[in-house]
Amino acid sequence: MEAVLKAIAEPRRREILRLVWDRELAAGEIASRFDVTHAAISQHLRVLREANLVRERRDGNRRLYRAAPEGLGDLKAFLESYWDAGLQRLKVEAERDERRKRARNRAANRRRRP
Amino acid sequence: MPGTEQRTDVVVREVTIDASPETIFPFFTEPEKMLRWKGIEADLDPQPGGVYRVVVTPRNTARGEYVTIEPNSRVVFTWGWEDPNSPVQPGTSTVEITLRPEGAKTVVRLEHRDFPSSEAATAHVEGWDHFLERLSIAAAGGDPGTDPWIENKGEE
Repeated sequence: MEAVLKAIAEPRRREILRLVWDRELAAGEIASRFDVTHAAISQHLRVLREANLVRERRDGNRRLYRAAPEGLGDLKAFLESYWDAGLQRLKVEAERDERRKRARNRAANRRRRP
Repeated sequence: MPGTEQRTDVVVREVTIDASPETIFPFFTEPEKMLRWKGIEADLDPQPGGVYRVVVTPRNTARGEYVTIEPNSRVVFTWGWEDPNSPVQPGTSTVEITLRPEGAKTVVRLEHRDFPSSEAATAHVEGWDHFLERLSIAAAGGDPGTDPWIENKGEE
C-alpha cells in the first residue's frame, strides 16, 4: 500500500492513470500530453509500474501502458483506514473530556468531605 | 448483470475508549464535539430523518441522514460523499455506531455497510478518480481530516 500511496501522491501520475484507465497508450503518446520531458514521464511510468498500478507491454520497440485497477487495493480497505483514523482521534478527544470530568468529580468530592 | 449491483462489503471497526458512553455519545451529535474528531464544518440535525453535513476537507463533504438515535448507546446514519463522482453517494451506505460499557471504559463499534463493492466503485473512471483523490489525501496526512484538531492540541 505504501508504494501505491507514494505513486498517486504526485498529481502528474494521477493524470497518467486517468489517461490509460480504459485504453492502452504508448509512452510517447502519454508524454505528448504533458509539457515535461519524456524522461520525466518515463520515470513516472516506472513508479506506477513498480506500484502495480499500470501494466507494460512491448510491441516492437514501443512500450504500451494500461491501468491495472486491482493494484489500487479496494474501497473496503480504504474505508477501514478512513474510520480507523477517525476513531483514533475520537478516542483521544473523548478521553480528554473524561479526564476533565473525573478531575472535576474528584475536586467536588474533596470539597464535600474535607 | 444490470440491476444486480453487488452490495456485500461490510467494514467493522472497534475501539476501546477510557470514557463513559455519556462522554462519547455527544461526539456523534454535537457539532463542536464532532469537529474535534472529524471535519472542519459540521451541520447536524440529530433526530430520525434529520440531515447532517460534514465538510471533511475543503473538497470533500460527507452527507446523510440520522436514522436511529438512542442516547448514549446507539446511533445509525446513512453516509456518502457529496461529490457527484463519488463511488459512495449520500444515502447509499449506512453506518451504525454502538457504545457498549465495559467497566469504566466503553467499546465503540462501527459498522459501515451497503457501500458498493470495490469492483463497482472502480468500474468507472470517475469512481477511480474520486478514490485516487481520497487515497492521495490519506497519503499526505494519514487521513483526510487531520488538520483541524492538531491546531488546538496544545490547550491542555
